[in-house]
Amino acid sequence: MSAFAILLTAALLGFGIRNLRWLKGFAFAAILTAAFFALASPPISGYTADTLSAFFGRLMLLTLAAVILGETERINIVQTLFIGAAGFLLLQSTTLLAFVLAFETLSILSFILVARMQNASQAEGAVKLFIAGAVATGLIMLGLALFTLSGHPLNAPLNAPLGVLESIGLWVMLAGLFYKLTIVPMHGWAADSYALVRPAHAAILSGIAKTVVVVALFRLFDAWLIVSPLSINILLALAIATMTLGNFMALFQQRLGRILAYSSIAHAGYMLLAIAAVKSAYAPAGLLYLAVAYLFMQTALFLLLDRLGNGLSDLDLNDIKGLASRDRFAAFYLSVQLFSLAGIPLLAGFLGKAVALFAVVDAGYWPAALIALLNSALSVGYYAWIVKQLYFDDAKAKTRLTALTAAPAFAQLILLAGTLYFGIAAFSIFAVAF
Amino acid sequence: MNPLYLVFGPILLSLIAYISPQGWGKYIALALFGFLMKSSITLYTLLPAHGYLMLGRYLRIDPLGFTLSLQVDQLSVVMLLLTALLLLLVALSSWSVAKNSNAYFALLILFAGPIFGVFMSTNLLWFFIFWELTLIPMFFLIGFWGAERRIYAAMKFFLYTHFASMLILLAFFLIRQQSGVFDMTLVRESMLATPTLIWWLLFIGFAVKMPLFPFHTWLPDAHVQAPAPVSVLLAGVLLKMGAYAMIRMGILMLPESAERFAVILLVIGLITLFYAALMALYETHLKKMVAYSSISHMGLVAVGIATLSASGLSAALFEMIGHALIISPLFLIAGFLHHRTGSWQMKEMSGLMQRAPYLSALFMLAGLAALGLPGTMGFIGELTILLSAIDAYGVVMALVAIGSILSAGYLIRSFRKVLHGECSPLLAQSDLRPDAALLATLVIFAALIVFFGLWPGPLFDLINPVFNGGAL
Repeated sequence: MSAFAILLTAALLGFGIRNLRWLKGFAFAAILTAAFFALASPPISGYTADTLSAFFGRLMLLTLAAVILGETERINIVQTLFIGAAGFLLLQSTTLLAFVLAFETLSILSFILVARMQNASQAEGAVKLFIAGAVATGLIMLGLALFTLSGHPLNAPLNAPLGVLESIGLWVMLAGLFYKLTIVPMHGWAADSYALVRPAHAAILSGIAKTVVVVALFRLFDAWLIVSPLSINILLALAIATMTLGNFMALFQQRLGRILAYSSIAHAGYMLLAIAAVKSAYAPAGLLYLAVAYLFMQTALFLLLDRLGNGLSDLDLNDIKGLASRDRFAAFYLSVQLFSLAGIPLLAGFLGKAVALFAVVDAGYWPAALIALLNSALSVGYYAWIVKQLYFDDAKAKTRLTALTAAPAFAQLILLAGTLYFGIAAFSIFAVAF
Repeated sequence: MNPLYLVFGPILLSLIAYISPQGWGKYIALALFGFLMKSSITLYTLLPAHGYLMLGRYLRIDPLGFTLSLQVDQLSVVMLLLTALLLLLVALSSWSVAKNSNAYFALLILFAGPIFGVFMSTNLLWFFIFWELTLIPMFFLIGFWGAERRIYAAMKFFLYTHFASMLILLAFFLIRQQSGVFDMTLVRESMLATPTLIWWLLFIGFAVKMPLFPFHTWLPDAHVQAPAPVSVLLAGVLLKMGAYAMIRMGILMLPESAERFAVILLVIGLITLFYAALMALYETHLKKMVAYSSISHMGLVAVGIATLSASGLSAALFEMIGHALIISPLFLIAGFLHHRTGSWQMKEMSGLMQRAPYLSALFMLAGLAALGLPGTMGFIGELTILLSAIDAYGVVMALVAIGSILSAGYLIRSFRKVLHGECSPLLAQSDLRPDAALLATLVIFAALIVFFGLWPGPLFDLINPVFNGGAL
């Protein structure tokens, strides 16, 4: 019994359950069982469960449970289980072939997820995601083909010295992966897609799938990156460009979805910086911390937007003016997660950035860490601006917002607990990463 | 007593104050601040003659050296006592706050935990965590309860100081990378590879908080827009946090770099002293004049720190305490006058002496103390800094006295414009009776200014061991 098999079976069986409550109960039971068996490896070559995959996989399941808790459509719950299964598979991949197979499965499931749309703008977001995904897949396949040409076995780990052709192949693959991870200059699609698709779907794409890919990518590629100094320099440059552009663009947005989308791009830059710090012993902990923090923060924010906007994706700053006077809990959840994204202490976002950027300094790239820290300070400009709308502005007489009901509020509490817990309790992450 | 109560207790208590029945927040705040004062006194009595009193180590993350290490020495306890006193007086002076009073006091309570953490933590990363956490309650206090342009001021305050904090964090990372420790008590013994870079990062970060020229521009806006009791916290606690960090890390933790760059601190301190005094001289906005006076006095504190001598640092610490006690009543009175008249302009408040003689007397006393009148704390602070500066840098430092002349200029001008003359129509139609809590607060400040001005011995007894115990 492995977590992947349990979630896959649950997803398939879930098609047959017509009652929403029953389906939710069944999904929670499946998630609990999968979490219990997170350390069991699937009986497929190239996939091995370890403490890292089990740790991050369990946290992923917790956020998926929060997604399911606030979900109102049966099909989305089933798809969330599928994504959980693919996420586990990706986290457990130990070879290039296994990684690509799991990654593509996750991509296809993402396309199916966003294909369920309510209006034209969500269709636009879905199409852009599909096109970007197709380009990424094309690049990954090209990279894989180049890598295969060298004769290096696809099912071997990447810890042996590699030749030029293999390295070119891996770089082309990384370009494809960076396309999905919204690294500049391959970020353009994300600002639209994340902002246009249903926010609950954006929570899965940007909050859950992205972090799973980053953690799995680091696990697989770190051995190669350590012995490839040129790669580190390229990664540093890309990371700086990504975080800077993401933060500057976010400053000028009005729509909340787009602010979060650009914030997501900026965070991809921070994560890439942690990957570039691979030669520091703290890099695994830094990246893992950043990914864990981001998993909770971003998922919580997009889910909150989804419920406040009743599934619509066009909320802007005017819509949330004075929210604190109307729904103080929703305003509180939003503010805490935004402050966490901004890197305010005692919240997970701070320690995530702190450990990751310490790894960057430890690796000897303190100017890059300085740029990242200044970027983080810049980002306060737009996060605090949202908080300003929530608390300091007067509420409009007419509002498009819907009140937060019990289930989504409980989901927010779960995610808030994660953000607060990892804001102080760093030992669990260090125990896994060291 | 578990020291975690002092740093995390207020954070939890702020939630209780927020959700408690309306009006209870102020009582919870007062009780907590009383408890913090009692705890600070207890810590003082427990202090060893030299070195730190270890209170505990918590939340250990050994691979990173990230441990909440709570220790206090004389310097921290002096700051704790000052902070607890100011928190009590701020709570008292805020007694009449009516708009969302529970939220207001909950934020004051929330501010207390991190500020105690700043003075108690010897782990650099935890110091930074508490340092940054003070921003959140301040952001909301200015942005929600401030004056007309409060949102602009709150955003500027948050962004400006957060940017500076990032430099401090980078310095801490470099220290950890090069020394292998985050513990500030051990850094002094370590060989740092890039001490100059680290010192400059820390210097700029702390200079923004103090604030020193040219990093001061956030403060006049924050002071003007903040409600008066919050201005007291800004001037009395937040700015002191910057000066404390400058002494603790810029001087005591990195003594060799401090010696190399002391002249820079001295020059910037002098520029701040004169620039802010000149700005105050031309200011017609009462609270802004007080704000520039506050910056000017922090320049004087920087001069005292730059002497690097035990007497100079003691004088700077005395001036820090004196400044907190002197500038606070000025802010409270300026805020009160604006609240009652709706104006900030001095010319629209002329004749205050006729309408509110007690308030005028208190304003004059605090103003005279600010310009360094003998018999007040201001005189002792300025004189001891002047003597230490001359001792360290020669007679040329007599020009520090020019700062006092300038402060006499703008303060006497404010007396002439506000206290004397014909009673302005705006003042004539305003109710200028302060509530009892505010009056009591002002009287306590006045009593302390005069008491320690006439009898500075007890305060120096408290301060002198800080720097005479081998810390330098």
